[in-house]
Amino acid sequence: MSDILKTISFDHVSIERNGSAIISDVSATLSEQRIGIIGRNGSGKSTLVRSLNGLLPISGGTLRVHGVSSEEGPKRLARVTGFVFQNPDHQLIFPTALEELSFGLRQIGVGKREAKDQGFALLKDHGIEQLAERPVHELSEGQKQLICILAVLIMEPKLLVLDEPFSSLDLRTRAALRRKLDALEQQIVFVSHELDALNDYDKVLWIEEGQVKLSGKPGDVIPAYQRHELFGADFHFAGAAVS
Amino acid sequence: MISLYMAGNSWAHRMPARAKLLSLFAVSLLVIPFNTLWFSALMLAVVVVLYASLGKRGLEKLKAVRPLLWMMGIIFIVHVVLGDIEQGAIAVLRLLAMVLLANFISITTHMEALMDAVEPLFWPLRVFGLSSRRMSLAVALVIRFVPVLLAVYASLQEAYKARTTRSNSWRLLAPFALHAIKMTDHVAEALIARGGADGFDR
Repeated sequence: MSDILKTISFDHVSIERNGSAIISDVSATLSEQRIGIIGRNGSGKSTLVRSLNGLLPISGGTLRVHGVSSEEGPKRLARVTGFVFQNPDHQLIFPTALEELSFGLRQIGVGKREAKDQGFALLKDHGIEQLAERPVHELSEGQKQLICILAVLIMEPKLLVLDEPFSSLDLRTRAALRRKLDALEQQIVFVSHELDALNDYDKVLWIEEGQVKLSGKPGDVIPAYQRHELFGADFHFAGAAVS
Repeated sequence: MISLYMAGNSWAHRMPARAKLLSLFAVSLLVIPFNTLWFSALMLAVVVVLYASLGKRGLEKLKAVRPLLWMMGIIFIVHVVLGDIEQGAIAVLRLLAMVLLANFISITTHMEALMDAVEPLFWPLRVFGLSSRRMSLAVALVIRFVPVLLAVYASLQEAYKARTTRSNSWRLLAPFALHAIKMTDHVAEALIARGGADGFDR
């Protein structure tokens, strides 16, 4: 059996947002290292992955992330799950990259001086120590997103969740950041509309209307999703789509 | 908070933050009795020399005062109308010098050092349950998000201009406020994702 300390398990999980069910009765066990999540806008992808960090409480069922149960509260989930958001401008809280990185360490109780040193060391590991003191609003989108990822990684999460993190980046920057992600030892859950990026993943979940429509190898799930979305029923802009 | 920190290692960067703040305090008190034109001009000149001592990038930071120039203009005009040109000039020179001097401190002092320097002032707030840690987080957020909000406003202006050919309107204020409120949701979420304002249990 798979190691429970390295596994995400959804057991009949439901999640409500503003009184309506966004995720209903999802059960899945994710023990693979690289998990992709695909689906339409408004399908519930973002809602589902937010529960992994405790950002959204589940309203039914049980969720376990690397040995932590949802019943232990959102903070315990946040401690094992790092979350990278779509827009770095919403995630970068501090005026400089170094402060951003040391913030995460301060959050887990590391002393001021040590947090700074470790933050600088991590920037140096990635060859961007010259960005340490630069105001973050002057950085490129790719640099900003890299800082976001490092600011999360420095807290040593066991699971890294990324919610469409590369949607405003050019091809080259995406590829460079993806190589950084590939090298990580953490389990990764990656929500993306770039289907090609998920071809090398171990497992892909296709979410539709708050449920898992299909899950399995990318070679099976992605083509099925494409056929369904491109050659399925006609698209109506008037249809409900709240994201 | 008009301008932002300028990375560097000049004499001004190395000077302790508390010493800088105390000097600013002392200077702003001392100028009050010296109500002459040549003194105000001299003071402004000294402040400009301070910027020059940081090099070319330092001189560029003098631009920080630009958004205030119209206000200075109004102050000067009011004095002219009241018939006291000299007092108007003194007021404007003095204001420019003081704003630039304060700005000089913000561009040469790391936010963290600044917060440490003023932290004792926040101690009385502990009575109300406000930690100095939260205060420094709040200050960091302001510094970080002023440029972000300016960018949001610029993009609204752009969208407006694309359809009206005019670049500004009071109508942009409501959507701007909505964007800002929406953004606070996102930022709060990002903060919670990393343990919230108080951090994880130690």
